Amino acid sequence: MGVVLSNIIAIYRRELQGYFVSPLAYAIAGVFWFLAGLFFILILMGPDGILAAVTALDLQGQQFGVPVPPIDVPYEFVRAFLDRMGWLLLFVLPILSMGLYAEERKRGTLELLATSPVTNWAVAVGKLLGVLTFFITMVLPMLALEAIALSASTPPMSPAIPLLGHLALILLAAAILSLGMFISSLTDSTILAAVLTFAVILLLLFVDLIAKNISGPIGQALGYLSLLKHYNNLIQGIFDTSSIILFGSYIILGIFLTAQSIDALRFQRQ
Amino acid sequence: MHNLPKPMIEVDHLSKIYGSTQAITDVTFSVEAGEILGFLGPNGAGKTTTMRILAGYLPATSGTARIAGFDVHEQSLQVRQKIGYLPETPPLYPEMTVEGFLYFVARIKGVPAGDRTTKVKAAIERCNLQDKRHVIIRKLSKGYRQRVGIAQAIVHDPPAIILDEPTVGLDPRQIIEVRNLIKSLAGTHTIILSTHILPEVSMTCSRVTIINRGKVVATNTPEQLLTQLTGGSGYELEIEGEANLAKQVLLNLPGVSQVESIPLAGIHGYSPKDNRAYLRVISQPGVEPGKHIAAALLHSGFDLYEMRRVSATLEDVFLQLTTEEKNMQTEADSTTNEEEAA
Repeated sequence: MGVVLSNIIAIYRRELQGYFVSPLAYAIAGVFWFLAGLFFILILMGPDGILAAVTALDLQGQQFGVPVPPIDVPYEFVRAFLDRMGWLLLFVLPILSMGLYAEERKRGTLELLATSPVTNWAVAVGKLLGVLTFFITMVLPMLALEAIALSASTPPMSPAIPLLGHLALILLAAAILSLGMFISSLTDSTILAAVLTFAVILLLLFVDLIAKNISGPIGQALGYLSLLKHYNNLIQGIFDTSSIILFGSYIILGIFLTAQSIDALRFQRQ
Repeated sequence: MHNLPKPMIEVDHLSKIYGSTQAITDVTFSVEAGEILGFLGPNGAGKTTTMRILAGYLPATSGTARIAGFDVHEQSLQVRQKIGYLPETPPLYPEMTVEGFLYFVARIKGVPAGDRTTKVKAAIERCNLQDKRHVIIRKLSKGYRQRVGIAQAIVHDPPAIILDEPTVGLDPRQIIEVRNLIKSLAGTHTIILSTHILPEVSMTCSRVTIINRGKVVATNTPEQLLTQLTGGSGYELEIEGEANLAKQVLLNLPGVSQVESIPLAGIHGYSPKDNRAYLRVISQPGVEPGKHIAAALLHSGFDLYEMRRVSATLEDVFLQLTTEEKNMQTEADSTTNEEEAA
């Protein structure tokens, strides 16, 4: 067990190190920070932002003398922001995951990993943890922005909802990265891996819509598979163990399929 | 040093089919512990396929291979602990430093934390990489990358080392260094190295297996193999006259290296006639002294009844190998000239 852990850590560190010296990773992080920052400002202070909407509503109430239902601004803000972040993941994550195995294949280093006394799943776990750590590093500056905004709210917001929301963000990212890793293990073309991952995520996000058009138990079952539905539940503060289990299942499925696909390499005829 | 079972590497009737092409057919050989086996063959002969099967990277279609007593496919994880493997293209992470990369390899190869520093240092010294230890691999020349590739194969001090074309892309001086390095590993390690360069095996290997079109055509020591190979080209003669006298005449001819009598049973379909001699003339490689032989014999008063060229089974392999080596030599020469010019 100690050996396996040591292997996972070795793979993890190498993977993470690779991101921090990769120009592509910096470019992705830059674009991500720009777009996420833009969303942040627009949601909070933009012309259609929450502050503007609340002010307009208050003004309406005063003019007509009708009592306005109170709006929980910090809550609405966190929910809206995490919702946009979820969409941003759709574009960012395939680029992060595309090289996980495709690059190793192209460089021939998969031959080193596959002939070392490391199990395939240990490699997959190490890699997934590496890319996930990089993603969390990308999200950290956003947390600082949110902390500044939310600290201005009176009464202070309970930390439970943003915490759950960000956990959901990381789980969603881990699930998508895990599947992206599997797709990356199937090809030595990074571009192909990115495009396929994008398509699969899109499908998993919208499986909800498809499910609604199918009646009966099949539709219901498909509905449960929707990543978006569970993500939306979690960021609204609805804690449901089935959501956590669903994300966990996607993550484990991705790791399992990756290990199998690398193992299949050892059995392939061409 | 290592408690080695014998033989270290056993390859038994190995075959590999890719789709409809047969890459290797019924390959059988073995490598004793501490030995260096050269796996010699022209490009596309199936060397890399065999190496990959031995390293556990590819499965064989049929047959078995065992390293240190473990089946490379069934007991892959145990085998992987026992081998160091340099694939055709060195598996390197371009963004890592030489030292960082070797630490990583040592770690995934299961070198205990306490030994890593000494092992990495030893590998760096053995491969003469001291000056480059903190250099990022992307910035290394091809020769240095190849050396880092060898370093990753030996960093964990494995009992069996598989090297696929270890001297490809190196300049002549580096080739000599690498050959010396490989020789220094023998004894404590069992090494199998593939190459398409004939002199390479005679310089480094204790035994050679020649493979051509996926089949093993010969296994022997380099010296015996060379005589076997060169001995193959020549002529068989049937003459009337005194055999010893004819030998004298023939040996004086340019291009003739050896003349021997053939036992009569060796020639099929001939009933031995009185006063006939059967001789085999072995010529130096690349020379065709046929017309001189005929002329000299007739001139000296022998009657020539038959003369035919002998083509040995290994001859075409040998020719292919020697011509490739010649190309390599001219290439190497031209690069040295370029370097001198620059």
